[in-house]
Amino acid sequence: MSMNLKVQKLLNNLDKAYTGPICSVKDWDIKIIPKTIMGKLKEHGLEKTYDPDNPINTDDELADRFFKAGYELALELGMLCEDTERIIKIDEKELQECMRDYQRENILGSGQDQVVMKPRRPEDPYPPLLAASLGIVCSEENYLPLVEGIIRYKKLVDVLHGPTLATVYGRTVRSGTPYETLMGRYESQLKKEALWRAGREGMACTGVAGAVTEFGHLAGAPALAGTGNVTMSLCPVELKCTFSNFHRIMQGLNYGHKIRAGGFSYIGGYAGPPEGAVLANIATDLLIPTILQSDYTSSYVYDIQLFGNCGRKALWANSVAIQAVSRNTRFMRNKIVNETAGPCTEMFLYEAAMGLMNHCVSGASKTTQPRSAGGRYTDYITPMEAWWCGEVFKSCAGMTRKTANEIAKKILPKYEDQLKNPPKGKPVQECFDLKAQRPSPEYQAIYEKVRSELIELGMPLDKVYYE
Amino acid sequence: MKEALLEKLSNFIAEGDAEEALKVVEEALAAGIPPLEILDKGGTRGMDIVNERYDNGEAFLPELVVAGDAMTEVVQKIFSQMDEAETKANKIGTVVIGQAEGDVHDIGKNIVAALLAVNGFEVHDLGIDVPVKKFVEKAEEVGANIIACSTLLTTSMPYLEDVVHLLTDMGKRDKYFYIVGGGPVTTGFAEQMKADGWGRTAFDAVELCKRLVKNGTPGTKLEIVDSQPSN
Repeated sequence: MSMNLKVQKLLNNLDKAYTGPICSVKDWDIKIIPKTIMGKLKEHGLEKTYDPDNPINTDDELADRFFKAGYELALELGMLCEDTERIIKIDEKELQECMRDYQRENILGSGQDQVVMKPRRPEDPYPPLLAASLGIVCSEENYLPLVEGIIRYKKLVDVLHGPTLATVYGRTVRSGTPYETLMGRYESQLKKEALWRAGREGMACTGVAGAVTEFGHLAGAPALAGTGNVTMSLCPVELKCTFSNFHRIMQGLNYGHKIRAGGFSYIGGYAGPPEGAVLANIATDLLIPTILQSDYTSSYVYDIQLFGNCGRKALWANSVAIQAVSRNTRFMRNKIVNETAGPCTEMFLYEAAMGLMNHCVSGASKTTQPRSAGGRYTDYITPMEAWWCGEVFKSCAGMTRKTANEIAKKILPKYEDQLKNPPKGKPVQECFDLKAQRPSPEYQAIYEKVRSELIELGMPLDKVYYE
Repeated sequence: MKEALLEKLSNFIAEGDAEEALKVVEEALAAGIPPLEILDKGGTRGMDIVNERYDNGEAFLPELVVAGDAMTEVVQKIFSQMDEAETKANKIGTVVIGQAEGDVHDIGKNIVAALLAVNGFEVHDLGIDVPVKKFVEKAEEVGANIIACSTLLTTSMPYLEDVVHLLTDMGKRDKYFYIVGGGPVTTGFAEQMKADGWGRTAFDAVELCKRLVKNGTPGTKLEIVDSQPSN
């Protein structure tokens, strides 16, 4: 029997995890990553290019210089396999081949719910896709109506990721145990029921949101098999991977899934300043499809001191990193916004709007949203946040970076001093009617106020409407 | 000369240059500077420098870790010059820290570990995905007085509670301060599981450990340090 090309390439890279240069995780994190990144920034004159006055980059030449440095960084570093403490290196031929052979689109879902993800350039008019939600914990009894609400509007939400179950049949889910195995199947079944209730049976699902280990994936993936669905595999920071990543991807390929593999870059972490996080993020976006054979990458820059990425530094870093890769490759990327404020607050709506506008105009192909209240509290998620994210993300397609930057400059001062102390907001039962699937009058009023304000500033929110 | 040596030491610690820092410690000891003064006016000043630089966004996680490593070596060297009673009296505390079972997100925990080391705690970092039993075994092995466990994942939160249950069932609950933290770990959850401490940020975790070892009694009440309380 002939071997699938993706499996063959994945195995070649897995082999390198046994034969590549030896490096301890600590040396990688503390010496190799910071030293190589700082050296690369210096070599390309990219130190101190962070521009707090222009949070959304409009300088193509700067983005291209970052791309060149990030490309070199990817080839110099590779990814460290934590399990064997060996580096999986790639040569330029492998990277070029991956860029050359990369698919022109990803088809997600089936039938009338099928959507097409395409590579997007900065200011691209093709609308990006929105997967909802991130893995925010919700009570078991809220799961079905919540998911049904989240995916209700076809124009706003394209793909289901879904919240995370707090319990399974009333029992706490402990990761890596039979509880997780049970949860994996249970969550998949609930998702299918929610899709049916919402009349969106063909919508793509991106795996089991509550599966922290392989157990949840193994249990849940068979229920979501098929080429329109996706397996997700997230790597440790920075530029590292584990056998668990390979394991999930191999399993996803077994079930005919698209592969979404990710890795994040932290401002203030091993990559250092915003400029360092940009370089690490570009290298991540180049290495993950090449080494892990992902159909698209899930990556973003996060500010470790703010526990999110809607502050000035992270907006700038994400804008440069996304633009750099969008201008120079066809790689498709899912770029996440990490809001810190909770449901039913103006701040959440501002954070989401700034982050998503930035990702859209910079060239992201997809996002997964929302991360209301930073994903910290059970039931602090309503369908309203997902709808808002879809409205903003899709409306901004075709908008110029210049306009986006001007809006960001006006909106950021409204919330940035609260980023270290964000409002928690309200749980779903206090601000959203899950039976009627409508926000409370208070939440509706907050939404209308912020929406009008953004339209006045030039955000084309009237391009997308509920139907 | 004394001031110059102590300043050199603080700078080497802030830069994470353990080798040079140890040379200065030897010079300072040879010059007759009391070990505790070296630790306090050289070491502590170095920690303050790197703490401030990190807080201002001028230093990053790698600098914190190497400064913490340098400080650990300096503390060991200085303690080796003291008798047992003096060492015991001056050691701030010993912490066993790790990421809960099932969780491989370690960057926040690494910052806490580095800051604790920079601030003079002896830190034993168990890494990620740490089984419940391992926390207690390591704490017993190294004579720790604090066990610190964190997670970013809700599905790993039950393991935080399991550590308390294990300590209680082993009859060791009053032996260790047990502190918890991480994204979804709220004060309510910490209180419910009867932890001894909760901190919001990495700096809060350091302040929390200092407070607990100074005034606390394990297993009695939850100490909260929250420099950025939520609205």
